[in-house]
Amino acid sequence: MTLYLLKRLAVLLASTAVAAVVVFAFMALLPGDPAEIALGVNATPEAVAELRRQFGTDRAPVAQFLDWAGGLLQGDFGTSYVTTAPVGPQIADRLGVTAVLVLGGMILALVIAVPLGTFAAVHHRNLLGAAISAVSQVGIAIPAFLAGILLVFVFAVQAQALPSGGYVPISENPAEWLRSLLLPWSSLGLVQGAVLTRYVRSAVLDVMREDYLRTARAKGRGSTGALWRHGLRNASIPVVTVLGLQLATLLVGAVVVERVFVVPGLGDLLLNGVAQRDLLLVQGVVMVLVAAVLLINFVVDVAYHLLDPRLR
Amino acid sequence: MLKVDGLTVRAGSVELVHDVSFAIGPGERVGLIGESGSGKSLTALSLMGLLPEGVAASGTARLGDRDLVGVPESRIKELRGREMSMVFQEPMTALNPLMRVGAQVAEVMTLHGRARREARARAVELLERVRLSEPAQIARAYPHQLSGGQRQRVMLAIALANEPGLLICDEPTTALDVTVQKQMLELIAEVAPALLFITHDLAVVASVCERVLVMYGGRVVESGPIREVFARPRHRYTEGLLAASKLTPRGTRLPTISGSVPPAGRFPDGCVFRNRCPHATPACETAPELTGDGHAFACWHPAD
Repeated sequence: MTLYLLKRLAVLLASTAVAAVVVFAFMALLPGDPAEIALGVNATPEAVAELRRQFGTDRAPVAQFLDWAGGLLQGDFGTSYVTTAPVGPQIADRLGVTAVLVLGGMILALVIAVPLGTFAAVHHRNLLGAAISAVSQVGIAIPAFLAGILLVFVFAVQAQALPSGGYVPISENPAEWLRSLLLPWSSLGLVQGAVLTRYVRSAVLDVMREDYLRTARAKGRGSTGALWRHGLRNASIPVVTVLGLQLATLLVGAVVVERVFVVPGLGDLLLNGVAQRDLLLVQGVVMVLVAAVLLINFVVDVAYHLLDPRLR
Repeated sequence: MLKVDGLTVRAGSVELVHDVSFAIGPGERVGLIGESGSGKSLTALSLMGLLPEGVAASGTARLGDRDLVGVPESRIKELRGREMSMVFQEPMTALNPLMRVGAQVAEVMTLHGRARREARARAVELLERVRLSEPAQIARAYPHQLSGGQRQRVMLAIALANEPGLLICDEPTTALDVTVQKQMLELIAEVAPALLFITHDLAVVASVCERVLVMYGGRVVESGPIREVFARPRHRYTEGLLAASKLTPRGTRLPTISGSVPPAGRFPDGCVFRNRCPHATPACETAPELTGDGHAFACWHPAD
């Protein structure tokens, strides 16, 4: 296990390094010179050259990359060419908001999917089980932002029960913080929950046909007891795979949902950066998102090993 | 000790096992033989209350003074693993892949009221009793680290853990290598209390059991002491089965039973074997009763 963990950690670091190269190369290949953008169309060539020297963008790409990547290792994402503010603290601020949004959405999805999916599997022969399957189908067809708009329409516009957007930091007012996040969480969680319900259902159905559940019953367990004791952990293995993929999807989905609900997260920061042509900021946010996805994959792989002794 | 009377198993309107009756005395070892699809496994599963969804049993089966058929699961589950146990055909999938072997053996004891620590210790003893070398190490292993033969021994240890009065084995050696098969059979013969042993292998029945029930088309077509049935089969199906399993001189055709087992629900009326029987006559359109004391058979024109 320790050896596996070390190996997997090495893979994580290597893939993050490769990702850094790719992200940097992509941004460098984009047309548009930060110095020219900063100075506008009437700038003299001398002034542009001077600013390039200040930014350091006159150097060879490799030197620029090493400079940027070296900074990343110390948590320094560079200084914005546009706002002259350091990028790192901005990202750190927003990352927390997005993480809370994504994790909350995921937890909501799990809270919905695990009981519903299990119930639908156990009752797959009767109407209620089939109804759950059908409803979750509908959920799959709805993208998160549409769910968000629908939720705003029902709960904010019609019922006026929740704010339609905006964000209150938890340090200011915990109750308002919760209220401001309920709709964003729901729009992410309901859709992912619907998707996950189907996976949980099919995983539990598969496990219910396994011989070892019959063995458990032959030992004297009832069918429900056998499923609890021997089924759910086995069923969780395929679900964890999907969970990892979904977390990555949620992270991307959060970009859109943050726009719909005006939540100041990473997605919002990214879109602002793009609009202002703040190259370093965009580069930093993309790097953080990529690293987060790689980290999720790492956690999923480790979780597999903890769950399934056959992999050890 | 076990008394089965008029056991019938249905899946919807299709009758899979018809009016099966037999008894097993304390310590008696009874074989149940027949081709695939003859209803052997369903008979066993209905005694354990483990029939698949959509399949239901009727009739009576009593283990001691407890009813086994038509009782709610909450009642029959107390008996499973304590009064009667079952070893299944496929050892590779019968154990939970995520749980240590020792814990899976101990579970059957804690379920029936033994303290956890005591059950853990006894699990190791049981693994030793089914002749697994290094039982303590096996107890800490996961199923995928064991061979098929070892896993089947583990299943046997689970089955024996609470000293049940009846052991049901459903083709326990079919999935094993021939060399392992023999050891396994010897072990079962040695440790089994009363035994219901299901197989399609006649040699296996002969080596383990004292009495045999021959099933075909969901019915018992012949039953009796194993020596008598094998030396002098009366039902034409038993006769064909024995002929097909005999070693024949090189160069001669293997004797077979013509045709194949029809799918469930497609057996002929009357004698279920008459469409494959070389001796069938119009009389066979009426179902023959299983008659005879000791050695019984259901055939209108038995072999002599």
